Amino acid sequence: MRVGNAVGRHALLIAAVVLMLLPVVWGLSTSFKPLSTIYDMSPIPWPGSLENYQAALGRYAIGRLLLNTLVMAAGVTVANILVALPAAYALVRFEKARGRGLMLGAVGAALLIPPQALIIPQFLLTTQFGWQGNPIGLIIPQLGTSALAVLLLRDHIRALPPSLIGAAILEGATPLEILWHVVLGLLRPALGAVSILLFINTWNEYLWPLLVMPNPEDTTIQPGLALFTGPENPQYGPLLAAAMLASLPVVTIYVLASRRIADAFLHSGLR
Amino acid sequence: MTLATQTKAGPARKTGSALAWLYFTPAIVSLLIWVYGPLLFTAVLSFLDWNLVSPDAAWQGLRNYGTLVTQPEFGNAAWNTVLYGLCVLPFATVVPCALAIAMWKRPGRASEIYRMLLFLPVVVAPVANALAWQFILDPLHGAVNQTLRAVGLPAVNWLGDPHTALLTIVAVTVPKVVALNTLLFGAALANVDRRTVEAARMDDAREGEITRAVVIPQLRRTMILLGMLSLVVVWPWLFTNISVLTRGGPSNATDNVYFRLYTYAFTFFDAGTASAAAIVIAVAFGLLLAGYAFLSRRFRASR
Repeated sequence: MRVGNAVGRHALLIAAVVLMLLPVVWGLSTSFKPLSTIYDMSPIPWPGSLENYQAALGRYAIGRLLLNTLVMAAGVTVANILVALPAAYALVRFEKARGRGLMLGAVGAALLIPPQALIIPQFLLTTQFGWQGNPIGLIIPQLGTSALAVLLLRDHIRALPPSLIGAAILEGATPLEILWHVVLGLLRPALGAVSILLFINTWNEYLWPLLVMPNPEDTTIQPGLALFTGPENPQYGPLLAAAMLASLPVVTIYVLASRRIADAFLHSGLR
Repeated sequence: MTLATQTKAGPARKTGSALAWLYFTPAIVSLLIWVYGPLLFTAVLSFLDWNLVSPDAAWQGLRNYGTLVTQPEFGNAAWNTVLYGLCVLPFATVVPCALAIAMWKRPGRASEIYRMLLFLPVVVAPVANALAWQFILDPLHGAVNQTLRAVGLPAVNWLGDPHTALLTIVAVTVPKVVALNTLLFGAALANVDRRTVEAARMDDAREGEITRAVVIPQLRRTMILLGMLSLVVVWPWLFTNISVLTRGGPSNATDNVYFRLYTYAFTFFDAGTASAAAIVIAVAFGLLLAGYAFLSRRFRASR
């Protein structure tokens, strides 16, 4: 009986892992196959070759796109945290402030508005500011997503031990001093987790760079990859190598920090 | 002692409010410029005839909305949007719930590994995922059709046949939905009392019965919430895959209202019709959310 349950449980989970990851793993394996065996059904690329990676980095200039993406993802993450942290702190600290409910509602509702309903004005505004083709135009308009950072950080700040902040209040610390010395110190692990989530999410952004970075050299890796696929049969070898390089940074970050990311969700509002 | 200031009404409270709004300022300015302002602007645009660049824009009244209603393409896109939503829903609720329970039931090293692997589709670059699928679904040489032919089945033109294209886009997209929601169900399960399960095991209840009678009832609200939230977040994910793999084709079979909006705006430069589509989407969404709020309140009341 018990054994049957264990088998069923593992069968379910293994089937899910295989179904969800097989295409990408197949792509990974193929990216190491030389052109002549690219459609081979052997799951292991043997004898392997790095020619696809050489082509991706040389002919397709993937390095440049990865650098652009890094600038965008880091910029959006830092900007979002800077904007969201004071708001999240004040939502917890000034629980009786007039208009706090309005602020909370404005933040929550911003998350529920379909982003596609906003892209035309966002696009026009970015053009108006002269930010077309400029990294600033890639970063600042994505402050619209800071609402998510506000809510996540608020949950983490709320979970901090109130006694520490209470002690700081009794000692006459100003709210800003408390935010800087007490909250930021305690919040470091959560801040790391939220930053990682924002970074991964922004790294994978597709539509916005597609709109504001018309020059193929200045765009980021998601729309950049799509540029290399034509209507005809694309060069799958270099393309899949580039696709793997596009995922490598974020997958590495995730594998190193998966525990922390899971914790960030465990402490989120979902309980 | 709570975090909140303990002051009562009066001057002190007023300064507290002013100070609070000082802290809110960066976030509220960002939201006004990049979310609420654009929403209002979209509403205004939806009444204009404008090509995004010319200095002239003519007032159209409701004509853009009329265009939407009469265009068969928009009707088709709206219907496909409903189909997409219905296809995604089980992968946002039942599937991740089952996976999360399977891991939660027996915590340990194996479950930790499953947990880590099952979240990976959220992290993998979406265009990389789309390209990997495109490669294995290649009608001639793709691994899927090679396998089908090897076992004597006919090959399928997955992304090129209007009958299978929409479902294929769903299949390319749902791993990410399952991955995110499995983690979120896991977060919800962390608050389920394990002792209730242990007690049922003591009573020699069968595992399936324990899941059905003890665990799932405690997850019902999470299930509704995640079903709802997934219908909020899934559209940009579908958009990427449609944009990379089919561009709405073949013969509009994979089109939906979001891709149509993009086509109106950035292929036809028809800001008015695109904005009208955006407003229709936003209103339909609002109604959906209101329905959710109503259902969840009734559910809470009936408990």
